[in-house]
Amino acid sequence: MEQANPLRPDGESKGGVLAHLERLETQVSRSHKQSEEQQSVQAQEGALGTKIHKLRRLRDELRAAVRHRRASVKACIANVEPNQTVEINEQEALEEKLENVKAILQKPLRIHHHSVPVFIPLEEIAAKYLQTNIQHFLFSLCEYLNAYSGRKYQADRLQSDFAALLTGPLQRNPLCNLLSFTYKLDPGGQSFPFCARLLYKDLTATLPTDVTVTCQGVEVLSTSWEEQRASHETLFCTKPLHQVFASFTRKGEKLDMSLVS
Amino acid sequence: MDETIAEFIKRTILKIPMNELTTILKAWDFLSENQLQTVNFRQRKESVVQHLIHLCEEKHASISDAAQLDIIYMQFHQHQKVWDVFQMIKGPGEDVDLFDMKQFKNSFKKILQRALKNVTVSFRETEENAVWIRIAWGTQYTKPNQYKPTYVVYYSQTPYAFTSSSMLRRNTPLLGQALTIASKHHQIVKMDLRSRYLDSLKAIVFKQYNQTFETHNSTTPLQERSLGLDINMDSRIIHENIVEKERVQRITQETFGDYPQPQLEFAQYKLETKFKSGLNGSVLAEREEPLRCLIKFSSPHLLEALKSLAPAGIADAPLSPLLTCIPNKRMNYFKIRDK
Repeated sequence: MEQANPLRPDGESKGGVLAHLERLETQVSRSHKQSEEQQSVQAQEGALGTKIHKLRRLRDELRAAVRHRRASVKACIANVEPNQTVEINEQEALEEKLENVKAILQKPLRIHHHSVPVFIPLEEIAAKYLQTNIQHFLFSLCEYLNAYSGRKYQADRLQSDFAALLTGPLQRNPLCNLLSFTYKLDPGGQSFPFCARLLYKDLTATLPTDVTVTCQGVEVLSTSWEEQRASHETLFCTKPLHQVFASFTRKGEKLDMSLVS
Repeated sequence: MDETIAEFIKRTILKIPMNELTTILKAWDFLSENQLQTVNFRQRKESVVQHLIHLCEEKHASISDAAQLDIIYMQFHQHQKVWDVFQMIKGPGEDVDLFDMKQFKNSFKKILQRALKNVTVSFRETEENAVWIRIAWGTQYTKPNQYKPTYVVYYSQTPYAFTSSSMLRRNTPLLGQALTIASKHHQIVKMDLRSRYLDSLKAIVFKQYNQTFETHNSTTPLQERSLGLDINMDSRIIHENIVEKERVQRITQETFGDYPQPQLEFAQYKLETKFKSGLNGSVLAEREEPLRCLIKFSSPHLLEALKSLAPAGIADAPLSPLLTCIPNKRMNYFKIRDK
C-alpha cells in the first residue's frame, strides 16, 4: 500500500486509499461477472444437452415408426390385415350413400314445394325437362325467373325514378311483358306526348321483341319529330327501359344548359 | 240521380257496419274529404245514411259509381259468398300471354253486352294483379238486377278465376265464355273446389300454402318438439305409449307439414259403390246396383280438424288419403266409383 504523499492535499490522500478500494471493488465485480458468465454458459450447455437428448429420442421413435410402417405395408401386400377391413367398410358405406342419392334422382321426379310466382310457366318447363334433364330444367327456370326479374326492375325504375317524364300511369301486367305508357321529353313544354307500347314475346329476354312509338294527337309528323319517334323506337328495342329514360333526362339537362348560356 | 240508384246506394251503405263505414267510403273515393267532414258519424245510422245519399245526389252518382261501392263492400265481406274456382285452358301452340288489361276489359264487356244488351259490368283492379269484376244481369227486355250480381276475381296471366256462386245459374255458360275469350284461352273447366274463404282457395290453387321451407339446420329432433307433453315434467313419469305417440306425430307432420292449413269449411264425398261385405249371403252384397250415398264433413276449419284427429286419438294414423289429398289435389268435392 502506498503511503499518502505529504505534498498532496487531503482529497488526493483519500484518492490513494479510495482508489485502491475502487480497484479492489472492480476486481471483485469482474470476478463475479466471470463466474456468472460461466454459470450461464453452463446452464446453456445443460439446456442444449437435454434438447439433444429429446431430439435423439424423437428420432429413435420416428425411426421405429417408419420401420413398423414398412413392415405392415409389406404384410398388407401379402395378407389381409385388420386395419384394411375398417377401410373397406368406410368405402362400402360411401358407395351405399351414392347409390341412395342416385336412386332418389332416378325416381319419377316431382316438384314437392315451390315458391315460384304463379305466372311463371313452371309446369310447362317441368313437363319438358324435369324427367329427362334436371340441369336443363333448372337452367330454363333460372332463365325465366331472371328475365322476369329484369323486366320488373325496368318497369319499377321507370315508375319510381322517371315519373316526371310520364304523362299518365304505366300500364303493366304481372309478367311485365306488356308495357304501355305516354311520355314527354320536356314535361311542361308544348310538345305532343309520345305513346310507347313494348311487347316482350320472349319470356327469357329482358329487351322487348316489338316496340311501337306513336305521337299522340298528331296525324302527320314533321321530319324532325318523325326522326325522333323512329330513334326512340330503336332505343327501346336495344337498351333497357330505365337507361333510355336516363339518357332522355341527360339530353334534357344538356338542352337546359344551352338555354342558360 | 235516379230513384233506383239512390235506393241501391242506400241499401248498400245500410249493409256496412258502422265501424267500417269511414274506411269503405275512403276506399270508394267518390265523396270528397270536405263532403265527408260534414257528416256526423255518431248519429243514428239512418240519419248518417240519409246525409250520405244527399251528398251522392249532389255529386250525381251513376250506376257505375254505385257498382264500385258494391264491389268494395264485397271485398271487405268476402266470406258472405261461397266461391267457385274455374280453370281455363290454353289452346295448343298458343302464343305467349301478352295480357293487356284494357283489351281484356273491353273484350269481356263487349261479349256480355252483345249477348244480353242489358248488363252492368264493372271492374276494380287490386294490387295483387287481380281484377274484381261485378256483373249485374238483365235480359234483352229487362233492366239489370243490381241486387243479385255475380262477382269474379281473375288473376291475370294465370288460368284461374274465382266466382261467387250465383243464384242465376243460367248465366254461368255466358260468363265462362266471356272470361275465356277475353283472356285468350280456349276452354274453361269448373274445379271441384269450393269455399267461403277466397284467400284459402287462392293459396290452394296457387300452391302457396306450404311456403315454410326447411333449411338444412332446422330439423329438430322429435324429443325437442312439444308433443303436448311438458318437457319440464317430473322425470319419474313415463308415458307407456310414447313410441306410438311419436309415430303419430311424425306421420301427421309428414302429411300435413308444419305450416298453417288453408281454411275450408267442408268436404263432400259422393259414393257410388257396390256393397262389400265379408259375410256371404248378405242381402246388400247381392245387389247389382251400386249404393249411392253422400258423406259431408263440416268444420269451421276442416283441414286443421283433420290434422288433429290422429294426435287426439280419434283416428288412426295415417289418415285415409281421401281426406289428406284435399289441398294437394285442389278438390273438396269427390265422386267415388268402383273401378
